[in-house]
Amino acid sequence: MRNRSCWSPLWLLGILGSISGCSAKTAGKPVSQAPDLSGIWQGVAIQSLSPSDPMAKKPGAEGDIPYTPWGLAQMKAARPVYGPNASLEKTTDPALKYADPDGYPRASIHPMRFKIVQTPDSVYQFWEYNKSWREISLNRPHSEVPDLTWFGESVGKWEGDTLVVDSVGFNASTWLDPIGHPHTEDLHITERIRRTDPETLVFNFTFDDPKAYTKPWDGHLTFKLKTDGVMTETIYTISDELSFRQRFLNEKPPIPIRPGL
Amino acid sequence: MKGKALALGLLLTAAPLFAHHGGTSLYDISKQITVDATVTEYVWTNPHVEIGLDAKDEKGNVKHWLLEASSPPVMVSRGWNRKSLQVGDPIKVTFNPAQRGAGVGRLIKLIKANGEELGRTLAQ
Repeated sequence: MRNRSCWSPLWLLGILGSISGCSAKTAGKPVSQAPDLSGIWQGVAIQSLSPSDPMAKKPGAEGDIPYTPWGLAQMKAARPVYGPNASLEKTTDPALKYADPDGYPRASIHPMRFKIVQTPDSVYQFWEYNKSWREISLNRPHSEVPDLTWFGESVGKWEGDTLVVDSVGFNASTWLDPIGHPHTEDLHITERIRRTDPETLVFNFTFDDPKAYTKPWDGHLTFKLKTDGVMTETIYTISDELSFRQRFLNEKPPIPIRPGL
Repeated sequence: MKGKALALGLLLTAAPLFAHHGGTSLYDISKQITVDATVTEYVWTNPHVEIGLDAKDEKGNVKHWLLEASSPPVMVSRGWNRKSLQVGDPIKVTFNPAQRGAGVGRLIKLIKANGEELGRTLAQ
């Protein structure tokens, strides 16, 4: 069992650089000997995890995503706000329609920043968008029955200069990316995270979800280091969405929205 | 030419636009409109900053526009802040109009009366 009393992520945010006081009680490799992934990172704006179609010109027909009939039907039914099937008015994007969390890995595709914080027991990603975060627990197995959550349950281990992460336990409410690649509760993501140079961080993904895809398929995301230390707050609520729709689409909000918008 | 709207209708090269809401489903990215206008509201909000403005057309009629900019963090990264504009500021602004008209658009470029150009809010 991890020592959460010592390694609360909120506590960590305030005392980075002075973590030795807890290390005696924790298992895992000391931070000083682990590869350093820490820092503020920002990705390149893409719409799709398809390596051949990152700007989503041909969703559903990318050629490098092995859809099952069910997966392809989901993809064709998706109405994102980008690409050839785009519709803001009729969008089925849960992150817009319901202001749901992006979940993972979509949170990293948002064109905003995240910070990586490392401890001996865990690697944390803190996204500025909606102030969400993810914990990658090091050197421990998955729970016997992982809960189904927006960001899944992630465990990892260091293999040389690479952090290898195994994630399961995703609820099926999210899209993998803004263009609408689907998944089920059986989604299993393997990641290999590596700092390829001091200013570049690469996540290589393998997505395995037999109901949605006939075989595992690969994607990747690349991030660049930001050294200005700036992390902003962007919290997006259903009131924000409904206000936007009222003002730009002339849609009447179906529920009361926050005063002042 | 202050006070006159200039509908340019320029064809644009497809660019890697990344707006949370207004993509091609809402805006006609093949068209740009440039107007001299007066700021009527400047709302620093999520999901995207909103700019209201009044502009006169060729006949002198005032037309109101509501423009969507980028999210506040993206705006900050391009040099904007929540006090970058004030109601009443004269501006020259370029935007993509909505596909179906409706007096809304997506901000591309904004120049203040003193010549200061605030950073473009779209990745172009």
